[in-house]
Amino acid sequence: MKKFLIDTYIILKEELRILIRNPFWVFIGLFEPVVYLLLFMPFLKGVTSAPGFPAESTSRFFVPGLIVMTAMFNSSYSGFGVLDLLENGFIERLRVTPVNRLSLVLGFVLQSVIVLLIQSIIICIISLFFGYSPSFTGLVLLFLLVLLIAITLSSISYSIAFLVKDGGMLASVINFFVLPLFLLSGIMLPLSFAPKIIQGIAMVNPFTYAVNASRFLSDGLIAQNTVVIAFILFIILSILTLQWFIRVMKETVA
Amino acid sequence: MKRKLPVSIRNSPIPSFKQLNCIVISLTKKYIMNDIVIEVNQLRKIFSSGKRKSKSVEAVKGIDFNVTKGEIFGLLGPNGAGKTTTLRILCTLISPTGGNINILGYDLAKYQKEIRNNIGYVSQKGGLELRSTGRENLILQARLYGMSNIEAEDRAEYLIEKLELQSFADRKAKTFSGGQKRLFDLSAGIIHTPKILFLDEPTTGLDPQSRSHIWNEVTKLHDEGTTIILTTHYLEEADVLCSRVAIINLGKIVELDNPAVLKRKIISGDIITLNFENGISLQTASGLLSSESFVKEIKTVDTLLHVYVDEGDSALPLVMSVLHKNNLSIQTVSLSRPTLDDVFLKLTGRKLIDEKE
Ligand SMILES: Nc1ncnc2c1ncn2[C@@H]1O[C@H](COP(=O)(O)OP(=O)(O)O)[C@@H](O)[C@H]1O
Ligand SMILES: [Mg+2]
Repeated sequence: MKKFLIDTYIILKEELRILIRNPFWVFIGLFEPVVYLLLFMPFLKGVTSAPGFPAESTSRFFVPGLIVMTAMFNSSYSGFGVLDLLENGFIERLRVTPVNRLSLVLGFVLQSVIVLLIQSIIICIISLFFGYSPSFTGLVLLFLLVLLIAITLSSISYSIAFLVKDGGMLASVINFFVLPLFLLSGIMLPLSFAPKIIQGIAMVNPFTYAVNASRFLSDGLIAQNTVVIAFILFIILSILTLQWFIRVMKETVA
Repeated sequence: MKRKLPVSIRNSPIPSFKQLNCIVISLTKKYIMNDIVIEVNQLRKIFSSGKRKSKSVEAVKGIDFNVTKGEIFGLLGPNGAGKTTTLRILCTLISPTGGNINILGYDLAKYQKEIRNNIGYVSQKGGLELRSTGRENLILQARLYGMSNIEAEDRAEYLIEKLELQSFADRKAKTFSGGQKRLFDLSAGIIHTPKILFLDEPTTGLDPQSRSHIWNEVTKLHDEGTTIILTTHYLEEADVLCSRVAIINLGKIVELDNPAVLKRKIISGDIITLNFENGISLQTASGLLSSESFVKEIKTVDTLLHVYVDEGDSALPLVMSVLHKNNLSIQTVSLSRPTLDDVFLKLTGRKLIDEKE
């Protein structure tokens, strides 16, 4: 157990050290949400008054969704960070050492999680200037949900990177899955605006629950079924995807 | 070796006292007297891509070899022969499709952790984290083998001094030359003083100076008692460094022995090459020498005369005296022993792809 903790710490520290050398990536990942905040949220102003719109203010509707969106896109691209490490033999060098395999996996995943939490905090701070006023406890829980989403998607992304070892392939696989999941999660516009079929499909999308939960949480409404469902779903998903990544890490022919 | 005994006994459920005694003797022989540290039996590896069988590659086709404590064992073969695959299996990176492997008494299928603690591996690609410095790479490696921060720093410093890497140790690894990278790869591989060190093409693509630096370090490690398994497609490297060489081609070991023995075994005799001033003396010499009993064969190539003999050392004075008696003057003379290249060519019908830098 002690070795496991030390190993995880060593790998995570190494990953963060490399990241701090090049903090550029943290900010690149912020570009998209900030552009949405500046250029898309104003559009929503006109829609807020439309019949059936669930929230009174655009920021209360859009900012929680934006945080989930950032988690979706940025975590699912974490696999790109290991492609060169796979290529130059660094991962293989790690795998020859007696380092704990779970530590190896957690080191990479936690690095993605930390980056994402920093990005989420920055988005929240910027949003304050756009009239976003979240509940504090709700926000802490929302970050916890974001953490679970980040574990899930970065584990998937790393695993695919290990399996395909190719940037182009990784990008197409990720886009193929993440884009529809994103559009069907009600981040951009309320799902109540969508046709019944789309609403039906959205009900089997775990991110729909995450997005709805994120809105409840930022409003401070914690004891909601949706919130509970979202947490249960993503706890299960993060365990399953972590296990997948561990298996890939153990067996993959790099 | 005595490997057959335990296998035959495994078939009969209750071994007799005599049989048990045999096992003890054979085990003693294997692990103590002969000090076998690596035992590979019928190793096979098939890379299957997807479900289609047609796409799968049989990279290693059932190879056997043992490595004794303290030797430098070479796997020699052209690109695609299966050298890297074999090493990666031995280093616990990929699992074999078939066969048994025992390293330092540990069954590879079960005791991967124990094996990892005792081996070092320098892959073909190296594996430095290029955005970190050489020293940081070494410290990380030491930490992963369980050293504390201070121990790791000391060990990194020790190796940097020992291998004379001070002048570039604190530069980012991406600025290193090929030779500098390789020296750091090697240092990372020996950070935990492994009992067995695997080196995958440690010198490929390097300039002669860097190559000899690496060779020196490998020789030093060998002198310190490390068992070394290296792959190469440089013949002279295998020839100079290795106590035994397995010539591997298309996933199979075609020959395995001491390099000198291999050359004797496959190609008997030496070659005396004479360079004449003119064609007439060449013709005359050819005629005279071919009637001598110590000459096995004669071949003319341009102005060169290749004289194949059994014992070059004793034949050379005889050749010279024949030429001298007949007043035939030569420009140069050289005595060459067969190279592993000749051996490889004879065994496989193909040449090793030797990239000349
Ligand atoms: N991960 C892999 N997937 C599929 N085929 C592979 C893989 N690694 C190696 N091979 C194939 O196995 C054969 C042996 O390769 P390798 O062991 O790298 O040879 P060497 O190191 O002797 O040059 C080659 O035909 C190579 O293409
Ligand atoms: Mg190779």
